[in-house]
Amino acid sequence: MGTVAVEVVAWVTKFVGGDGSGRKVFDEPIVPGATVRSVLEGLSTRYPELHAALWEKRELGEHIEVLVNDAVLGIAHTLESPLRPGDRLALLGQFTGG
Amino acid sequence: MPALRTSTPSRAKHPASAAAPRPGGYAGKLLRVNLTTGKIWSEPWSPEDMRELIGGVGLGARILYREVPAHVHWDHPENRLVLATGPLAGLPVWGTGGLTVVTRGAGTDGPTSTQANGFFGANLKYSGYDAIIVQGVSRKWVYLHIHDDVVELRDASHLLGKDTWQTQDLLSAEYGLSGHQLSVYSIGPAGEHLVRFAAIQGDYGHVASKNGCGAVMGKKKLKAVAIVRGTHGLAAADPRGLVQAADDIAHDLQTDPTARSLYEYGTLPGVVNLHKLGMLPIKNYTTNVSPVDLGPWEARRLREGFDHRGHQCNACGMHHCHMQVIRSGPHTGTLVDEPEYEGWSGAGWTIGATDPQAVSWLNTELDRAGLDVNEFGWLCGWVMECVEKGYITRAQLGFDLRWGDVEGARKLVDLIVHRRGLGAVLAEGVKRAAAKLGPPARDCAVYTLKGAVPRGHDHRARWHEMLDTITSGTSTLETGNPVHPTEVGVPARVDPFDGVAVAKMVAGLRGRLGFEDSLGICIFTTRTRLENLCRALGAATGWYYTVDEAIRFGRRTGAILRACSLRCGITPATEYPSTRYASIPVDGPAKGQSIVEQWEKMLDTWYAEVGYDRKTGKPLPATCKALGAEWLAKELWGRSR
Repeated sequence: MGTVAVEVVAWVTKFVGGDGSGRKVFDEPIVPGATVRSVLEGLSTRYPELHAALWEKRELGEHIEVLVNDAVLGIAHTLESPLRPGDRLALLGQFTGG
Repeated sequence: MPALRTSTPSRAKHPASAAAPRPGGYAGKLLRVNLTTGKIWSEPWSPEDMRELIGGVGLGARILYREVPAHVHWDHPENRLVLATGPLAGLPVWGTGGLTVVTRGAGTDGPTSTQANGFFGANLKYSGYDAIIVQGVSRKWVYLHIHDDVVELRDASHLLGKDTWQTQDLLSAEYGLSGHQLSVYSIGPAGEHLVRFAAIQGDYGHVASKNGCGAVMGKKKLKAVAIVRGTHGLAAADPRGLVQAADDIAHDLQTDPTARSLYEYGTLPGVVNLHKLGMLPIKNYTTNVSPVDLGPWEARRLREGFDHRGHQCNACGMHHCHMQVIRSGPHTGTLVDEPEYEGWSGAGWTIGATDPQAVSWLNTELDRAGLDVNEFGWLCGWVMECVEKGYITRAQLGFDLRWGDVEGARKLVDLIVHRRGLGAVLAEGVKRAAAKLGPPARDCAVYTLKGAVPRGHDHRARWHEMLDTITSGTSTLETGNPVHPTEVGVPARVDPFDGVAVAKMVAGLRGRLGFEDSLGICIFTTRTRLENLCRALGAATGWYYTVDEAIRFGRRTGAILRACSLRCGITPATEYPSTRYASIPVDGPAKGQSIVEQWEKMLDTWYAEVGYDRKTGKPLPATCKALGAEWLAKELWGRSR
């Protein structure tokens, strides 16, 4: 059994007990068959604010961008893609300004 | 200060219909100014027109379509400069000082719609007007003074050469008014010298920046518009309903997981987020990897890196706009406006500058000179790259200009705004300057073939904005960032490198931004459900207004601007990015992604989805009909259609 690092970046740390700056990295243990979805659900179950921001029913909502190994989810991975030990997820806030 | 023209605006030419009461939220009159003759008059607009056009870009687009024919180029005396508010301006809803500038701009010689905030919209409404429509050219430099029913063109000779902040300082001192009591929107030296990307800046840090609207104002020899906060009443049709809608909007902005970051930090989170996504443009698209630690660029640390205080717009409760004091470096102690994300990008990352103190200073210098920070960034970054590669020499510039040299960039500003030496070429904007220098320099420049530039993102990782920028009727964002996309049936997320999916998303989200930009409210306080905005509009005016109607309205406005754009000669043949703009990122999260390979497919999809003719670019008759603009179909396609 290994772990997947979930990096929560800047603004999104607000949803996991942070102050909206810096980073929080969670080393999430994975079991065989673990997917992007199962890892995210495992983390968000422990943080209700993150859960509310991340999900819309059982799909990802519009508020948080998910990266898998530095690529936006949807390119090389989907929610159902299997993860291997050493893979990295990142959670970024959606940016609506500019 | 003697007035060149003094006028209580003449009476309405067309008395308003007695049968139809004026909707709430409107002042009820449009202020017309002819700078050639000095005539100033007001005219009412009908409740029917208010319902159809709302205000802002909706009103401006109609005026542009009706009053600026093909032969009236941006510098023609008959070009119109529309400074419009909307029905929410001046009412107790957050961010309701809104100004929308609509004109035929100097950048593309095509339609422009560009927004700013502050207090302009509120002050104008309290003076009794919903919009100002300027035409003609003055013989001498003037500024427009508005104080309730007294509207005058005054001598501006003492303001010439002054930057926009100095102009506001001088007028504030003359009037003995400050803060929200006097809103001043002016052009700086850039507008005076007709720089093609000159902006109109007001209330210390708010900028209507796109497509050279400041050059249009300069061509008309109109230095500034100064509006004393008027004393006319402004009533909502349903005051209690308006407050309820305003409260719901404010609640949404404070609690929605995404909007809450805007509420707390404005657009500051952009740098870190966009870098992580490969969308932060660094050194003129030559890299997407920051050479420095981004810790100091996180929103909280960025704000705390300065002495700062809130600088809110009319009736706004957001912690968005701030003034700040430079803490270190050669400009320590200087008061500046906290940059928006676009400022951090254009005055910073695009030119390789990574010291927040220096970037913040340069950003305000650009505002003061009256330049669009986006186009300056693309221009300066391009020049820096050309210097590095030997395509532009030190002798041509008169000084050295290396990546990240903020003081050198400030020298470049002077060169451009006074059109000195190479500055005369650069003042024509990125596309024209690149064409003048030719290859290989040309191929390093970021621009659209229409002659516009992107906002401050790397669109090679943000395909929806590249498509939006290039297909827009105003040559800048017409759809904008996705805001609650599922509310209008668009998926919450799509693969950002699937061209067809991206094109469908851009087409599907069209309409919202045009609606927002017609209300007289800030784009950042509209990051709520459209339903809430419709409720606010309904409570203000007394109309029953639906989300469907809002989207249809925005798309109708887009179709009218598209028609204006075609009339200006801006056809589908120009809907392409420059070589560098469409290049393949060499590093970062979007490394290897190529939009060029999918571009034609994206255009095909977009045209099919929006209902425009792929060959001519015209909105199809069925599209016009569905949007409630049969008249436009007849004018574009002839009566037989």
